[in-house]
Amino acid sequence: MEEAPQTPDAELVARTQAGDPEAFDELVVRYSPRLYGLVYHMTSNHEDTNDLLQDVFAKAFRSIKGFQGKSSFYTWMHSIAVNMSINFLKKRGRRLTMSLDDVDAGVQNDAEFIEATTGSDPSHAANLRELQQRLNEAMQKLSHEHRAVVTMFDIQGMPHAEIAKILGISEGTIRSRLFYAHRQLQNSLEEFIKR
Amino acid sequence: MPKEINTSKLLRLKRYEQPPPDYFEDFLFEFRRRQRAELLRRSTREILWDRILSMAPNFRVPQLAYAAIVALAVAASVLIVSQKSPGGNSLAAAKTESFQPALTLTSSKPVTISDTLPAAARAGGSVSSHYVLQSRPVSNEQPLSF
Repeated sequence: MEEAPQTPDAELVARTQAGDPEAFDELVVRYSPRLYGLVYHMTSNHEDTNDLLQDVFAKAFRSIKGFQGKSSFYTWMHSIAVNMSINFLKKRGRRLTMSLDDVDAGVQNDAEFIEATTGSDPSHAANLRELQQRLNEAMQKLSHEHRAVVTMFDIQGMPHAEIAKILGISEGTIRSRLFYAHRQLQNSLEEFIKR
Repeated sequence: MPKEINTSKLLRLKRYEQPPPDYFEDFLFEFRRRQRAELLRRSTREILWDRILSMAPNFRVPQLAYAAIVALAVAASVLIVSQKSPGGNSLAAAKTESFQPALTLTSSKPVTISDTLPAAARAGGSVSSHYVLQSRPVSNEQPLSF
């Protein structure tokens, strides 16, 4: 049985602007998993992510009357999420509270995970928790702006052009930030990768 | 560059960090609850301010730029006001200082006609007092003719 075609974002936005809150609920359902990933990888904390994501959708709902459709709703929502996450991180300062208990069990069957954790020498296999911890620590060492670019490109798989639109900067700047961030991450993860 | 490949692979593994499966259902429920609570808590003025902000164009201007514009506007206003006020006051003060009436009701000095003449006439001393009748009697006016 075929699934019903998804209502376009633009239509849901128009209905929300006309005063239909259920249309916005549908946008929340549609965008929360993806935006959760974005905010979580910026903050590395599930509780902070939950609160922040609630604020992101609340802000979007309050501002949606002013959304004129010059960019896609996808870009607009991501811009709000990134800007609010960066502001939050600036306020939070260097306090780092990681919550690493909710990892999906599927990672243990992932070929890349197996390869990354065993490498050429099985005696150096690292456990899942350590790998996550290393990754999060390495990410937290990046500046907020670099972390945002790495999250969107490397973790969420967005193209350069989309990230450039969301952040309002050129694709060249995105590439430059990625190059710098990758170099920093390599330095941070060097010992882990060598094992 | 095997190191670079490994870094990218390691980063991709972070995709597996997900909340529990029922999290997003609860998220929507929580969102609705917070919205209702916020509506009850917020004053009319706050709601109105939010509406105004949402109607404003969504420029990519840093917040500091807005602050700078406001500061400039305030500074300009202060400058304009301060230019008007001291200039106007000093002029009035100067006028007050330079104006010394020749005739006062409380003056003990006897007043002569020459005191009321212009300064140039008083300095020369040769100007004799004379009176000019600048208007003519009504009966001397020319009759209207067409």
